[in-house]
Amino acid sequence: MSQTKAEVRPAHPAEHLYIIMRIAVIAVIVFLFIPALNPARVSGMINPNTSLLTSGISYESLTGEFGRALRKEWVTEDSFRILFGSSIAACIGVCLAAVSGCMSLGNLKFKRRANLFGIGAGALIAAGMGGIYVAYTQIATTSKPDRILPMIPGGFYAMLVLAIVLIVGFAATQFILPKPAPGEKAEIEVKYQLFLMLLPFIALVAVFSYLPLWGWRYAFFDYKVGDTLSMENFVGFKWFTELFKNQATVRDIIRVLRNTLAMSGLGLATSWVPMAFAIFLCEIHSTKFRRFVQTFTTVPNFISWVLVYAIANCIFATDGFISSLMISLGVWDQGVNMLMGAEHTWLKMLAWGLWKGVGWSAIIYISAISGIDQQLYEAATVDGAGRFARMWHITVPSLLPTFFVLLLMSVGNILSNGMDQYLVFENATNTDAIMVLDLYVYKLGIGQGQIPLSTVVGMTKSIVSVVLLFSANALSKKLRGESIM
Amino acid sequence: MKNAANAKHIRKHAGDSPMYRLTVGDHVFNVINILFFTIFTLACLFPFYYLFINTISDNDLVSRGVINFIPRGIHLSNYLSLLNVGDLSTSLIVTAARTFLGTLLMVAASALIGYLVTQKEMWGRSFWYRFILITMYFNAGTIPWFMNMRMLGLTNTFWAYIIPSIVAPYNIILVKTYIESIPAALEESAKIDGAPYLTIFRKIILPLCKPILATIAIFGAVGNWNSFTDSLILMQSEPKLYTLQHRLYIYLNQASNLAALMQSGGQVSEAALKSAMSGKVIKYTIAMVTVIPILCVYPFMQRYFEKGIMLGAVKG
Repeated sequence: MSQTKAEVRPAHPAEHLYIIMRIAVIAVIVFLFIPALNPARVSGMINPNTSLLTSGISYESLTGEFGRALRKEWVTEDSFRILFGSSIAACIGVCLAAVSGCMSLGNLKFKRRANLFGIGAGALIAAGMGGIYVAYTQIATTSKPDRILPMIPGGFYAMLVLAIVLIVGFAATQFILPKPAPGEKAEIEVKYQLFLMLLPFIALVAVFSYLPLWGWRYAFFDYKVGDTLSMENFVGFKWFTELFKNQATVRDIIRVLRNTLAMSGLGLATSWVPMAFAIFLCEIHSTKFRRFVQTFTTVPNFISWVLVYAIANCIFATDGFISSLMISLGVWDQGVNMLMGAEHTWLKMLAWGLWKGVGWSAIIYISAISGIDQQLYEAATVDGAGRFARMWHITVPSLLPTFFVLLLMSVGNILSNGMDQYLVFENATNTDAIMVLDLYVYKLGIGQGQIPLSTVVGMTKSIVSVVLLFSANALSKKLRGESIM
Repeated sequence: MKNAANAKHIRKHAGDSPMYRLTVGDHVFNVINILFFTIFTLACLFPFYYLFINTISDNDLVSRGVINFIPRGIHLSNYLSLLNVGDLSTSLIVTAARTFLGTLLMVAASALIGYLVTQKEMWGRSFWYRFILITMYFNAGTIPWFMNMRMLGLTNTFWAYIIPSIVAPYNIILVKTYIESIPAALEESAKIDGAPYLTIFRKIILPLCKPILATIAIFGAVGNWNSFTDSLILMQSEPKLYTLQHRLYIYLNQASNLAALMQSGGQVSEAALKSAMSGKVIKYTIAMVTVIPILCVYPFMQRYFEKGIMLGAVKG
C-alpha cells in the first residue's frame, strides 16, 4: 500500500474533465433531496414538500392529494404508476452517479469502470425523465386542468441537462483516456481511499449542519407554514425592519433580551462559585468525605431539565415536601405552590442552575488542585502563611488560567442559555421574566408558526454569538497567548 | 491511580501538621466547612430519596402528605400499574432504542473519523477536519434546523433521533487527541507490513481506544436518554415517538388529567385507579422511572465521567 505512492503517474489532461462530471454528480445528489427541485412534481396538486427521493420511495407521497381526482377519473392510476416508476429509476440513477463519482478518483482502470457506471447513471436518469414526461403528457390530458394544474417543473429540465452532461462527459473521457497497461489492477490511491472513507461523514455534516444555513432564506420571504417560496412572496428585509418598527415586537424583544442578558450575567457573576467549591472541598481532610461529596453533588448534572422540574415539583409544589412539612408542623394552614409567582424568577433560575451544575463544574478545579506542586504549600507554611493565605496566594492563582478559559467560553454563549430550563419552569405567572431568546424563538416559530420573524431573530443571534466567540478568542490570544477554540 | 491521588492529598495535609498547630479558628473553619458540604450534598440527594419513598409508600398516606422522611406501607404496585399505561411503555421503548442505536453509531463514527483525520496521507485532511469541527461554533438556529429536517422528510420519524447525531465533533476531537497519544510505531509497523487501513483501525487502534470510547459512549448515552427538545420540536404529529422525558413533561403539565390517561391504558377500572393512585403518585413514579437508569449507571461510570471532563479541558 505504501509502495503505490512511489509510482505516481502524471495525470492525463483529459482527467481534468472529471471535475465537470463530479460537480454534476453532486448536483444530482442535491436534486434528490430538495423538494423545490423535484422533477417529478408534474402537477400543482402534488405536495410541494415532496422531494425526488420521497417520490421514489413512497407512492402515497405522489397520489396523496389525488383521492377525489382519481375517483372522478380526472387522472388515471397508470400515469402515477409511470411517474412512480420513473422516480425510482431516477433515484437509482443518482445512486449510480454517486458511485461513479467516487470511482473516478481511482487509477486508469478504475476510471474506465467509473465511466461505464456514469454513462449508465446518466442513461437511467434520462430514462426517468422520459418516463416523467410521459406521465406529464397523460396528466395534461385531464378534463380539469384548472384543478390538476399539470406543469413541467424547472427541476425537470435541469435534471435532464445534468443527465446529458453525465452521459456525454463520461463517454468522452472513456473515448479520450488511454487504455490502461495490461495487468494493471483497479486501485484507488491511498489519499483518495482515506478521503472516500471520510466522505459519508462529510456528507452528513453538510446535510445536517451546513444545509440548515440555507433555511436562513426564510427570513426574506413572507412565508406561512405549507407555502412555497417564490418571487411573489419575496419581501427583502421587511422582517428585519419589522423587528424595529412593530411596537409589540420591539417590546417583546427588549424584554427577552433583558431576561437573557440578566440570566447569563448572573451566570457569569457566579462563575467563580465552582472554583470556590473546589477549593473549600479540598480543605477537608477526610478523603472519604470528599469522595462522598464529589460523587453525590455531580448527580444532578446528569439528569435532564425536565427531571429537575419534576424534582422542583415534588419539593416546592402545593402537595410537595415543603408544604406537607409546614402543614404537619402547623406553620401553614394549606400548601403553597412556590413554583408559581413572578418574584425573583432570575434568582430562582440561577439557584437551579447552580444546584445542577456546581458539583460537576468543580471537578475540573479539583483535579487542577491535586496537580499543584505540594512544595509550594510546604514552603508557604514554613514562611508562616495561614490557611487562607495559602488558599489565596497559591491555590487561587494556580486555578485562574482554567477559570479564565471557561469564563471566556461562556462569554461566547451569553445569548444562548438554552431553552430546556426556561421552557419547563415557565408558567403563566412568570413568563414575562423567564422568556429568554432561545425560548422566544421556539415559541414564535414552532408555537405561533411565525417562521420568517423567528428566523430573523435566530439568525441575528447566531451571527452575534459567532462574533462574540471570535472576540473572546482574540482577547484570550492577546492576553494569554493561547487560543480557547 | 486513585491511591496515588489520595497520597498526594495526605502529603499535603501531613505537611502542615508538625509545624502548624490547629487554632480555634481552624476548628471553627473545619466545622463550618464540613457542615456546608454536608448540607449541600443532602440538598442534592434528598429530592431523589423523597421521590423514591413517595412512590413505594402507601398511596393514601402519600396523598395526605405525611410521607416526608420515612417510607410507610411499602409496596411496588405503582411501578407495576405504570406498565399498563400504553404510551409510557412506547416512550420507554423508543428512548431505549434511541439510546442504544444512537450511542452505538455515534461511538463507531467518532472512532473511525477520529482515526481517519490522524492519517496524514488523506486528501485535504486538515480542510475536512476543520469542516467538521467548525460546526461546533455556529448553528443556523432552531427554526432553520427544524425546516431543514422537515425538508429532508425526517420529522415524525425515528431516524430523526439517530442520523443527525452520528457525527459529534467534540467527541471526534477527544478520540483524535487520544489516538495521537498512542505511540506511532505500532501503526507504522503494521503499515509497512502492508495491512490495509481498516484492518489497522480494527485490529490495533480500536482496542487501544477502549477507555476513550467508553467515556464518549457514556456521555452519548446520557445525552440520548435525557433528550427532550428534539422530541418536542420534531415529533409534533407523532406522539408514538415521544421520548420518555417529553412524556414526563406532558404528564407534569397535565397532572389533573392523569386518571383519564391511566384509564385509556385499559385493564384498570377508573374507580380502582382513583383510589389507587393520585396524580401526585403517578407523576413521582414516572419521574422515578426516568431517573433510575441514570442513578443506577452513575456510580459505576463516575470515573469515566470525570475522565471525560478532564479530556475536554486539555483539548486545545
